[in-house]
Amino acid sequence: MINYLWDNIFKKSGSASVKSLTLKGNVLFQDLGARELQLIESIVHQRNYQPGEYIFRQGEIGVGMYLLAKGAVDIIVDHGEAEETTDKQKSVLTKLTVGDFFGELALVEENGRRSASAVASTDCVLLGLFRPDLLHLLESHPEGGGKVALRLAEVLGRRLRETTDRIAVLKNELQHLQNQRSEP
Amino acid sequence: MKKQAIPIARERRWRLAGVLGILLTGITLILSVDGLLVSTLAALVLTYMLNPILFRIERWGINRSFGTTLLFLVAFGLLVIVGLLLTPPLLEQTNSLVSEAPKYIDSIRNFSGKYDKVLSGYLQRYEINVGARVAAFIETSLGSFLEQLPAFAGRAFTVLLLIPFLAFFMLKDGRAVSRQLLSLVPNQFFELALSLSHQINVQIGGFIRARLLEAVIVGAVVYLGLWLVGAPYPAVLAVFAGITNLIPYVGPIVGVVPAIIITASNDWSTLEIAGVGSVYLIAQIIDILFVIPLVVARIVNLHPVTVVIAIVLGSQVLGVLGMLISIPVASVLKLTLTTFYGHMTQYRA
Repeated sequence: MINYLWDNIFKKSGSASVKSLTLKGNVLFQDLGARELQLIESIVHQRNYQPGEYIFRQGEIGVGMYLLAKGAVDIIVDHGEAEETTDKQKSVLTKLTVGDFFGELALVEENGRRSASAVASTDCVLLGLFRPDLLHLLESHPEGGGKVALRLAEVLGRRLRETTDRIAVLKNELQHLQNQRSEP
Repeated sequence: MKKQAIPIARERRWRLAGVLGILLTGITLILSVDGLLVSTLAALVLTYMLNPILFRIERWGINRSFGTTLLFLVAFGLLVIVGLLLTPPLLEQTNSLVSEAPKYIDSIRNFSGKYDKVLSGYLQRYEINVGARVAAFIETSLGSFLEQLPAFAGRAFTVLLLIPFLAFFMLKDGRAVSRQLLSLVPNQFFELALSLSHQINVQIGGFIRARLLEAVIVGAVVYLGLWLVGAPYPAVLAVFAGITNLIPYVGPIVGVVPAIIITASNDWSTLEIAGVGSVYLIAQIIDILFVIPLVVARIVNLHPVTVVIAIVLGSQVLGVLGMLISIPVASVLKLTLTTFYGHMTQYRA
């Protein structure tokens, strides 16, 4: 009887399918079995955002990552020094759509600050996986948590390699421009 | 973008009001219902003690609900066994201590009576009768305690029933309730609230486990020492020393008083009483040199002045219970304020 009442008070919403579909299609969770995926479903936080609403701001301390289940998100960088930057000082780095994820560095970096802002460009449904929940998963279910952590490391490694490649390209371009300028 | 600003702000306000409303209602309920505060605090202590074990049970692939039930059954079984083993000597020593109480009161009266004469010699204008006053105070306290014993026993029974009940649901559904509450937090404060709740959880859990370990170590050292010097009631005095040690600064002094009174009343020599005192001193040295730096200090980072102010405020508001919970409450308040202040003022790099 107590369980029945309790279960009804904390009855789950009917959005489990959105959650499971989004999680199943994500590279971080591709190695997980059905039971482990259920576990991830139970620890992610579903959040709804309106167009123009900030998911997080550049410079804030990040706690975790978000998966886009519905809608679109702009990743923006503020170039201004002042607290209130104008639209001219902001540049959109990338536009993310359903299935994309962002902010994953905060899962491994304690008290790390967000390097860019994320703003909902349409009505959005996001699934948030946060550092405390990942730590809890690693502690209570080390096998499933380990699989996620390994995939996360792979994603971060790939992003690091991409960034390194991009820096190399930019350095070459800079060198080229400097050479052009020094030529009479 | 500007068109959306008003509905978002309105939604944020409602959500924030909802969360604060639920929290305030919960706190008011806990403070206003008789015995609920003690039950909730004791259930919290039990939850934080059992949670690491539940993690290990979950690792075996057992789900949290079944794991909690299993853990409670095992804990109950262990409690019965430990109770059966420890209750007889503790009860025997307590009964003996109660039956000999008049002897100890007389001893206090005689002891302080000697100093009354000395003091009266210096301060002739004042009527000094410390011995009689102390003895009267103890007799009155004992009398009112015995008068209130039936009501106290009834309340204790309710509290003892509530503790495992609340602890069971805190362990089983604590995370679900916390997630439900977090889901109401406005997006703007969501990550902050989640991070803060995690930090508070880690800090309180660590604090409770550290202080209980400290109490057990101090109790064990006192028991061993008293047993070695042949003092009476070593078990009762060790349990008392362990419990009072939970109150910073004041507790260890309060803990040693009964042992000194008892040994002095039994006509022990000054050297023997000094031996009993040194047992408590050794326990405190071990506590200060090893247990506190290695276990407790890493968890709560409060200035000694803040600790003293917190204890005084706690004792004013909730008496002994307030003294016991003042440090974790102060550290949670400090953590909350610094986190919010940091978020509001310094989040931009």
